[in-house]
Amino acid sequence: MEQLETFVVESPDTVGAKSTRILIQDTLADLSLNRVIGRLKVFVDPVQPVFIFTAILRLGTPSVKVKDFAKVDFVIGKEEVKIELQRETYAVKLLNKLWERYGKENIEQPDRKVIIVKTDPVKEVDALNELVIDEPQQEVLDRLIDAIALRIIPEGFRVRKHELSTSHVLFVASEDTLKPEWIAKAKDMLESMRFENSGEEENA
Amino acid sequence: MLEPVKYVGGVYKHNHLVELVEDLGGYILQKNVMQTEVVLLMLVPINDMPVVEAKAKELLGKLTRAPLTGTEIATVAPTLAYHHLPHLDCDVAEFLRQHGAKTNMVGLARGVGKRICQITAYERDLINEHDLAVFILGNYEHCIIEKSKRLYEGIEIPIVVTGAPELKTEDVPNATAYVGNFGRILHHMRHSEELRTLDKLAEVIGKVLDNVRVELAKDPPSVAPPRIKKEIEEQIPDIINSLHPLPIALQMNGARVKLPYEEYHEQIENIKFVEGVTMKEVARVLPSKMRNFILIKALPKSETGFVI
Repeated sequence: MEQLETFVVESPDTVGAKSTRILIQDTLADLSLNRVIGRLKVFVDPVQPVFIFTAILRLGTPSVKVKDFAKVDFVIGKEEVKIELQRETYAVKLLNKLWERYGKENIEQPDRKVIIVKTDPVKEVDALNELVIDEPQQEVLDRLIDAIALRIIPEGFRVRKHELSTSHVLFVASEDTLKPEWIAKAKDMLESMRFENSGEEENA
Repeated sequence: MLEPVKYVGGVYKHNHLVELVEDLGGYILQKNVMQTEVVLLMLVPINDMPVVEAKAKELLGKLTRAPLTGTEIATVAPTLAYHHLPHLDCDVAEFLRQHGAKTNMVGLARGVGKRICQITAYERDLINEHDLAVFILGNYEHCIIEKSKRLYEGIEIPIVVTGAPELKTEDVPNATAYVGNFGRILHHMRHSEELRTLDKLAEVIGKVLDNVRVELAKDPPSVAPPRIKKEIEEQIPDIINSLHPLPIALQMNGARVKLPYEEYHEQIENIKFVEGVTMKEVARVLPSKMRNFILIKALPKSETGFVI
């Protein structure tokens, strides 16, 4: 799936649809979300009034744990855990996390790629291995919610229903109570995108 | 008759132009020095324009007509959220500023939605203190029309509405004028067609204000607003200490003075004109809704029986 391989804004108000399309492009560019969205369908009817936003996502790498880039070991005869980094990319983030968790006085870095944590090794080795250092997906999803809920959906549409997962996002918003048929329509729009042939070009 | 003009040129010798305009009986309304450049907003007697033009040419500066000079305009957004700021609202406000207007940005507390939008009494009074209000609305025709039916309740000044669809002014209820091609834009307006849209807005506002001027001329204010400004500057030295941008903001039939009302209103009321009248005889000095500023509204000739 390419980035924004489908980008449709449907509305009975054609001028409105055109400006909404530009608005979505601007917002996605501002928050660098272009690469995150694979397919996108929006339906707006200001008369009803309803705003439906559905998208299929293509998120990047899942969360990064310590074991993905370092070797965590016991130090024989000492109350210490030794972390040997294989890649330095996450060193700064890892140190910050360790300081927060064990306190600065318990962390030593005798070498560029070696970090010593003064703690009970038996209890902590497994926990350290599983420690999450970076969550690119979560960070992208936060930005996506910012874009959709706070910038794209018209402000007056305060009654909202949303569905959010790592594969898709669905927002239905209105000024009045949501009608079940709008939510059904949103789900249909999402399904129709799921089964689109990849590589097929479609534009509004 | 005074002509509103803007001069852009070098700082060197610009005081020659200032003195010339003052000698001719015109007024310098605003002077902005930006490093080596100076921008002057002034009112020049129309018959003396050729003299001023010649002087500007001699100083290698540029003189342009700025029809919005001496007016205070409120640019109103439904809220102060990402939906409207910073781009569109600031672009509009800044553009009107370049044409000589003093713009104030107003964000309503509950201005969102077509059914649920509201305006509070305070917001309404604050907007009514201006010469004109620009309401910056969104993308959908239906919403703009529905919203216009209720949002401008109680606003007595001319209302210019902007939005995406091309509508006729008659179709937008309660609006004095409507300008299309705006809508909810989330990028800086800098493409040529967008700048043309902004030009159109300035032109429409200029026309609306010209109509107001014609109405005003039928029963002219007893004292001209630039005169109020000049007398305050000469008789109330504390105005120099006011650090607000434009300590005396001119309006079409008055001025906003950025000094605390409680301390200064009596001094202002007792300002003497050489014609032998005091300020309170020719204008009402009122507390402004904006902070604790002072709002001066000139009385019309029909009430005082004379014009100074």
